[in-house]
Amino acid sequence: MNRRRFLAASCGGCAGLVPGFGFGQSDWSAPARFARPEAASDEGGLWAMMDREESRLRRSPFTLRDAQFTAYIQDIACRLGGEHCPDIRVHVMRTPFFNASMAPNGMMQVWTGLLLRVENEAQLAAVLGHEIGHYMGRHSLDSLREARSRSAAAQVMGLFGLVGLVGQLGIAASMMSYSRENEREADRIGLLLMHKAGYATDEAAKVWRDLQLELKERPDGGARNPLFATHPAPEDRQQELATLAATFQGGGTNAAEWQKRVQPFLRDWLVEEVKRGQHEETIALLTRLARDIPSRPEYLVARGETYRLRGAREDLDKAIADYTMAVAVEGVPAEAYRGLGMIQRLRDQPAEARTNLLRYLELAPQAPDAAMIKSYVEELKS
Amino acid sequence: MRNLLIVVILAALSGCATVNKMESGSQNIGERMTLTLDGAWNHVALPGQGPAQTWTMEGLPVDVLLVYSGLKDGQAIHRATSSGQKSFNFRASMQPDEIVGLFEGFLTRDGSQFQMTKLEPANFGGEKGFRFEYALTRKVDGVTLSGMGYSTVSRGELFALVYQAPRLTFFSRHKERVEQIARSAQVKT
Repeated sequence: MNRRRFLAASCGGCAGLVPGFGFGQSDWSAPARFARPEAASDEGGLWAMMDREESRLRRSPFTLRDAQFTAYIQDIACRLGGEHCPDIRVHVMRTPFFNASMAPNGMMQVWTGLLLRVENEAQLAAVLGHEIGHYMGRHSLDSLREARSRSAAAQVMGLFGLVGLVGQLGIAASMMSYSRENEREADRIGLLLMHKAGYATDEAAKVWRDLQLELKERPDGGARNPLFATHPAPEDRQQELATLAATFQGGGTNAAEWQKRVQPFLRDWLVEEVKRGQHEETIALLTRLARDIPSRPEYLVARGETYRLRGAREDLDKAIADYTMAVAVEGVPAEAYRGLGMIQRLRDQPAEARTNLLRYLELAPQAPDAAMIKSYVEELKS
Repeated sequence: MRNLLIVVILAALSGCATVNKMESGSQNIGERMTLTLDGAWNHVALPGQGPAQTWTMEGLPVDVLLVYSGLKDGQAIHRATSSGQKSFNFRASMQPDEIVGLFEGFLTRDGSQFQMTKLEPANFGGEKGFRFEYALTRKVDGVTLSGMGYSTVSRGELFALVYQAPRLTFFSRHKERVEQIARSAQVKT
């Protein structure tokens, strides 16, 4: 479905045809746009704090400075936010973790780790819709008012993924501190917004399912993850989302458009993902992506790199298999040849190693490790 | 690095961190490495510190020189973590790019960005080793740092120097000192 047809379909507006929606869309309608609160109020203080943070964010070297791509993400957020669109300001942040957050002043952060993980617009809309759900429900204000101590106030700050505060968690910071009821409400609002915007709501449960698959690969099996510790059991949540989605039929995913838009950034995001060094999670992620989007050799190369760097038993064989599949595709990243050459060098296959390393140098003559690779090529000559 | 900063600040507040002067001249680092300094450095000793010695000229967190001597196969390059995060462990079979990847993983656990800008063969400690350079954008404050390192693996043990400081002013101020230390390194075989 092309973008225009997708948008046209999205105007179908089946919102009134949904019986049994838990909190009943008849019971809920989007609030009017929020006026700026009084500066002297607690909410006004929170907005001022977020305004300062947003100024910092605009100058941050972590901001992805691609106006066209940011406008594309902004457009998705706007379709979900409806009347609130003028108040939503999207900032795409180059950080390889799953995260999106929205502050009460309308500042929305979307991290590139999330963009790497979603497979279509609908999945991204599920996360953004959830965050807009918190915004429309003014949940951060609830949290602020419950914060009685400085430490609790710091946790409220953490809701918005402020630079440097939560990066190490590797998950959506915003999922840490809202109450279970707030989370459920945000899920429900998010689904409704998705539906109104014309997105397939069954994609929301898939995001949750996929995230679980990754987190379960953590060294502690995800058991110590605050996402699992303080929220509805993930299986329950996934089930709730799936059940809700069943009442909202129709909608599209806009997968082709999504994949076209992220293609220019994909290699950088994959390199950053592999560099996290969380090999098990990364392998789970890339296995899913390589299965679901087999046309992209980038996933195979990144998984091959991950296997090679992990270096556990049989990992090098797996890496070779991935690189070999990848180089059969035109336009494969040069790293595939480097990976093959490095393993063949270790395995005392000098002719094959040299051929592949030379191919790497040919494709990436300015690579930072070119001098090192040239030294290997020389060594293999003898 | 952010974890290191927190430890430094907490330790300093609680009076647990000690700073000793590393005098000019020859210094034994661990059992197998000797470095010759042409000027004094500050050696910061922290409770629960990892396997690297932490040196600084300007004071933490401005600049830091991590000195590894004799890290064994399977040992982590950082202090023990308790948050369920994965450790970055050295393996004796690692190639240079994999060793750089270890440092990279360690230095970017807080979401900082690391960009290797050079990797080349180099002698270190009298052994065949490698030299690398990188840029690091610190997540906590957005400051851009420059970094460099030397490393070699000898008899299955890792020896390395890794230095980083803010790109503006500080890195260039001390880079040549670090190069001199790297040139002076001797690893006992």
